Amino acid sequence: MPSPMKPLTDCRRRAFMLGVGALPLTPLSSRAAIGGLPSNTGHADLSPEWELLRGRLFGTQPITAGADRVQLIAPLRAAYGASVPVKIVSKLAQTPELHVRRIHLLVDKNPSPLAATLELTPEVGQADFETRLRVDEYSHVRVVSELSNGELHMDSRFVKTSGGCSAPPNRDSPELIGRTIFKLPGPPKMGAPTTADLTVVHPNDTGFELNNVTVMYIPSYFVRTIAVSFAGRKIFDADLDFSLSENPTWRFNFVPHGPGELRAEVVDSKERHFTGSLKVG
Amino acid sequence: MMSLHRRRRLLGCVCCVAIFPPLGRAEEARGIPPAYAPLVVEPSGGPERAEFDLGPALARAQRENKRLYVYLGASDCPYCRRYENFLRKNAAELGPHFKPWLVVDLHSSLATNAQRLFIRVGGKSQPYTEFQRSIGDERSRMLVYPTVWLFDPQLKPLMQMPAGTGTFETVEEQLEILQLVQ
Repeated sequence: MPSPMKPLTDCRRRAFMLGVGALPLTPLSSRAAIGGLPSNTGHADLSPEWELLRGRLFGTQPITAGADRVQLIAPLRAAYGASVPVKIVSKLAQTPELHVRRIHLLVDKNPSPLAATLELTPEVGQADFETRLRVDEYSHVRVVSELSNGELHMDSRFVKTSGGCSAPPNRDSPELIGRTIFKLPGPPKMGAPTTADLTVVHPNDTGFELNNVTVMYIPSYFVRTIAVSFAGRKIFDADLDFSLSENPTWRFNFVPHGPGELRAEVVDSKERHFTGSLKVG
Repeated sequence: MMSLHRRRRLLGCVCCVAIFPPLGRAEEARGIPPAYAPLVVEPSGGPERAEFDLGPALARAQRENKRLYVYLGASDCPYCRRYENFLRKNAAELGPHFKPWLVVDLHSSLATNAQRLFIRVGGKSQPYTEFQRSIGDERSRMLVYPTVWLFDPQLKPLMQMPAGTGTFETVEEQLEILQLVQ
């Protein structure tokens, strides 16, 4: 159920850091379960929030819009607004000469719009990623792909979410927080992009959710960074936010050149460190 | 002894109720409005195991070659009332677009959570979560009121639907849903 008011938390602080703190952030009670907002918004449309973010993040650098270099796949209406599946598809092979070096994932209308920044190396092989996002209200979700030659490419989707009457998430196993799990959906392919799934068990609390029992806000508590490597070589680093769903998950690629260990170093907003690993090959 | 004044007030009230019951109560009435000719399904069993049988609705949809618009609403859910009132207010405009659909109205309550809600199809009765998994619906993790499913006459889901109805409470967006826009 929607929360009636918004405390000043890490969320707001991070929003201010991005320079969007001055935006009229309306109370959650009027932002959840909304229906009736303009539905004729196009997937490729801009928004005032985006215009502001664009200036803060990229200055006056030109950004090419369209799905020629990077494509964002997201449903118009997801099953749950708290867990919207998004897929980033790069239309560029990851080579040392030209590769995706950074990916920004944004949700225009979220209180803290920058959900993730990924720093990539050519070791990902193919710069495709999948994750799940919290989308607080009707909003564009955007991906901006920064190539090693400095070009910026963007694709976007308009996503509709709202609330309803439901039970709060399960918080019965706090001892599992930080558990970091790798899985390979298929066998590894030596010398070729191999898909891997990474999940960090974590509430990724936004700070806006009311505990129905204590009637207190649950403090924000989320995964801040993940560094993924294979055989000691960096695959990607992720700077994250609570716009990622509970139990943050990433599907990504890496190129194994031989047997090695896939490893993730995780730091959350309480400066707690967690690690997870998987032997491959 | 009741004064004339009080008797007149009382009579006046009774007359209001008698003459205008639909106006006063329409906003409070539960369920899909009659204009959509819903097939109402009440649960069998007690509050610990509320089972909704989709069998008769499925058989009728097959007979009439209609798609199924299955609505799960709770008697004590304000979001449900809001959606039902939206349908009521826009029945004239939306009604024709619902013609290819058999609207099925499952009458539940918020106390009927995912563990207590069962769906029966033919000889098989499944708890909510298992039913959702069996049809590949992503909403298996949490039961949200209200819930809408879209099925073909063979009970194959036509589109992944969102939890709740908040994203289709305008005529334009309700039409998006009926036209399976994703």
